[in-house]
Amino acid sequence: MTHTVQLLITCLVDSLYPEVGESVVRVLRNAGIQVGFPRGQTCCGQPAYNAGLRSEARRMAEYTIRTFEATDGAVVIPSGSCAAMIRHSYGDLFADDAACLPRARRLAARTFELSEYLVDVLGLADLGARFEGKIGYHASCHLLRELGVDRQPRLLLNSLHGADVIEIAGAQECCGFGGVFSIEHPELSAAMLERKIQSIEQSQAEAVISCDAGCISHINGGLHRRGLRPRLVHLAAVLDAPSSIPDDPGSQPIGG
Amino acid sequence: MNSIFRAQIRSALANPVLQEALDANAKRRSEARQDALASLPEDWHTLRRRAHTLRAGIVDSLDEHLAEFIRQAQNNGIIVHRAATAQDAVDCIAHIAKDNQAKLIAKSKSMVSEEINLNPALEAEGFQVVETDLGEYIVQLRGERPAHIITPAIHLRRQEVGSTFQEKLGVPYSDDIQHLVRVARHTLRQVFLEADIGISGVNFGVVEDGTLCLLTNEGNGRMVTTLPPIHIALMGIERLVPTRADLAVMLQLLPRSATGQKITVYTSLIRGPSAIAGINPRQRHLVLLDNGRTAIQNSALREALYCIRCGACLNVCPVFREIGGHGYVGQHGESSPYPGPIGSVLSPGLFTAEEFGHLARASTLCGACKETCPVDIDLPKLLLQVRAGVGTVRKGQITTPNSPAALSLGLGIYTWLATNRLRFTIAQRVAGSLGKLFARSHWIHLPAFTGWGYSKDFPLPSARPFRDRFAEQPAGDINSPAGVNNPPETQFTSAVIHRTEELKATLEVISASARFAKELAALGGQITFCSTANLATQVMALLRSRDIDSVISWTQEHLPASFLSILISSGIRITHEAQPSIRAGLTGALAAVAESGTLVLPDGAGKPLVASLTPEIHIAILLEEDIYNNLEEVLCLPQLKQANAAVLISGPSRTADIEMSLTVGVHGPRELYVFCIKE
Repeated sequence: MTHTVQLLITCLVDSLYPEVGESVVRVLRNAGIQVGFPRGQTCCGQPAYNAGLRSEARRMAEYTIRTFEATDGAVVIPSGSCAAMIRHSYGDLFADDAACLPRARRLAARTFELSEYLVDVLGLADLGARFEGKIGYHASCHLLRELGVDRQPRLLLNSLHGADVIEIAGAQECCGFGGVFSIEHPELSAAMLERKIQSIEQSQAEAVISCDAGCISHINGGLHRRGLRPRLVHLAAVLDAPSSIPDDPGSQPIGG
Repeated sequence: MNSIFRAQIRSALANPVLQEALDANAKRRSEARQDALASLPEDWHTLRRRAHTLRAGIVDSLDEHLAEFIRQAQNNGIIVHRAATAQDAVDCIAHIAKDNQAKLIAKSKSMVSEEINLNPALEAEGFQVVETDLGEYIVQLRGERPAHIITPAIHLRRQEVGSTFQEKLGVPYSDDIQHLVRVARHTLRQVFLEADIGISGVNFGVVEDGTLCLLTNEGNGRMVTTLPPIHIALMGIERLVPTRADLAVMLQLLPRSATGQKITVYTSLIRGPSAIAGINPRQRHLVLLDNGRTAIQNSALREALYCIRCGACLNVCPVFREIGGHGYVGQHGESSPYPGPIGSVLSPGLFTAEEFGHLARASTLCGACKETCPVDIDLPKLLLQVRAGVGTVRKGQITTPNSPAALSLGLGIYTWLATNRLRFTIAQRVAGSLGKLFARSHWIHLPAFTGWGYSKDFPLPSARPFRDRFAEQPAGDINSPAGVNNPPETQFTSAVIHRTEELKATLEVISASARFAKELAALGGQITFCSTANLATQVMALLRSRDIDSVISWTQEHLPASFLSILISSGIRITHEAQPSIRAGLTGALAAVAESGTLVLPDGAGKPLVASLTPEIHIAILLEEDIYNNLEEVLCLPQLKQANAAVLISGPSRTADIEMSLTVGVHGPRELYVFCIKE
């Protein structure tokens, strides 16, 4: 049986990390999945929702719901926070809207974060990918605590051939991104980022896996500003790596 | 952003002492909490959902529960006052104090009293008010607000406490924590003995029988509710639980979440004033404060009222860890008594969103608070409600998001772009081309004023977004799925789960008395098993070894037959009243709880509570058959339910208020000996 999924690529991957998007497609297709990409998609509305701008968030959410209503199959998202937005927050946004609420719930019910889809839905663990060296995991907050997804990406990570999987100290602590928070509260965001960077540096990991482009931009941006090697890598990029990831820190597949 | 708040954030980040203290708090509190949760007799998630449900039930029909609680409390002889506002509560308490010609007021820790600014108001009326929790006492001497709802002096080092004591109490400087605790014990002991009124908070009110439950470790809560002639308890109207069995649920969660203890050293259960002539307190008052709680109940922030003030969300919050409790300031620079994630919801709810609404924006919504909350409050959702301005909105009002103007404008434009495919695609291309123009590498070095540029570079938008590339992706061979296999059994288990299992494994099945002995020893108490026949010999040996010739004791009728007469014939002087110079107290015990090493002592004729409170050494006589497995059975014992006041004692008194360094022996006894009679 062939599954078809619809890719909700997220605004960040679409605009900043298109190579991660390409990796997602290859990983899914290698697993025997047909991938659709509804071209009308833009942004799930999370930035506005987190800023407290509910009417703007509702407009974007309704737009997203409409875009995917015309399609079939699971909606797969390479981001924990965007998946959590659709699964949990759309219901909150439309709680008083009898017309939109069932539509929001229907979309929520078919939405999966990428690692969750690979492990829980497809039953995959080993995709045959290879990584030589020390590799760690950064647990993105919404993936971990809103979706409760932690076992799945770690399982995929542990199945990488050749990899020395290590635990990063404070892996479950927030990196200080928080969307609009990182702009509104630069000092607090910087202090939290500093802790994260220190623990990554101390871990001596050559790559740190994350399932969220937000955390990746934030931590890699901080590493680059300090003259350190950006090494946050999207999960899809390592799963798509038959041999190893490229060495150039700025090159796109490692997310920045 | 509010400039005072920003200045406060910067100064906290630049304060190395504060940073060190906050790091230590985060680390120790979360480790202790993990260990304590592992010791729960049932699954933590199940238990906290129960707690959530029972608190939700209270808040959903608060009026009915409150009316029944008040009726029961009044039946028990408590004088109940309702205060709609902070000013009403202050006036009510000042009125009671004036009516009774009070001069000196001893206070145990109460966040509600901080909320209503009680101390300055009473001082302005001419009363002397002394905080008696060590941490609160320190911050009171320094003229500060508590920096944490559980550990008020968390922001200070021992050296600063030493200097404060030197300056304010006129004692020689010392930075020895044990010595500082002794100074506080000595100074405050006089306050307890001379106070005309004791004021306390209330952790829980039990609806079914009007009981007030109060938790302390140092023993000051017992002092202020036991020694002065008048006790005034101050509580928010929402701090109720339906039954004693429900109280047992909360008592399993609150201390574990707050300090990582299975139970606090002292759990006071207060029903009414003393029924015995000559024994204090003659009057007990209860002041029930609304001060915005009903408004919160009728708003989208209702869930914030489930809070039991354990402070766990503060300890795990990455923002609290950076700025501490004094960092949560309003528009005009005054800090809220309620800091941390819960404070960023309660402060706008109770003290207006205009003043404190911006605090809800100082969160990454990481969810650590919700994950930790023992009553499962969805704090990120509530923070979002405050941000959206719907938090405290009542019917007919207009909602106004508190987003800064520039951000609202930017997101307004973004929304316009993102709700149309063509507009969004054009914007993407413009960003991609502009990025190329300005950047020499894959990164854009944004200036600090942009916020992002303060500490990080921004990745260059791609000139060819994913949407342009999707069609070029090779379709792949969908007929031969690669890498599909059966997932192995879950390999990953988090460190937390490991820890839980290790600890659970150590809790082998043992008898109730052995378990009690083990738990008591872990708390620093000492247990001796003996028979009725050799009890007196054993107790005499202890008294002689400590050069004790007089004890405050329960009367003979509540102790094993002819026990006191043997002591008297051996030269021990027995009294049944509080006498400050007597170093040992001798009591029986109604029951004990094995799982937490807890003794249960109700008051009553011939059973003075002071015997287990004012002396340095507490000796308790317990029958092995009175040891129960769990707290719930004990809380529902008829003799305990009928007591006007009772205390559950778990080890010697203790504090960790200075640098979180554990010090035994604060206001209550520093030694606890249990003689367990096994026949």
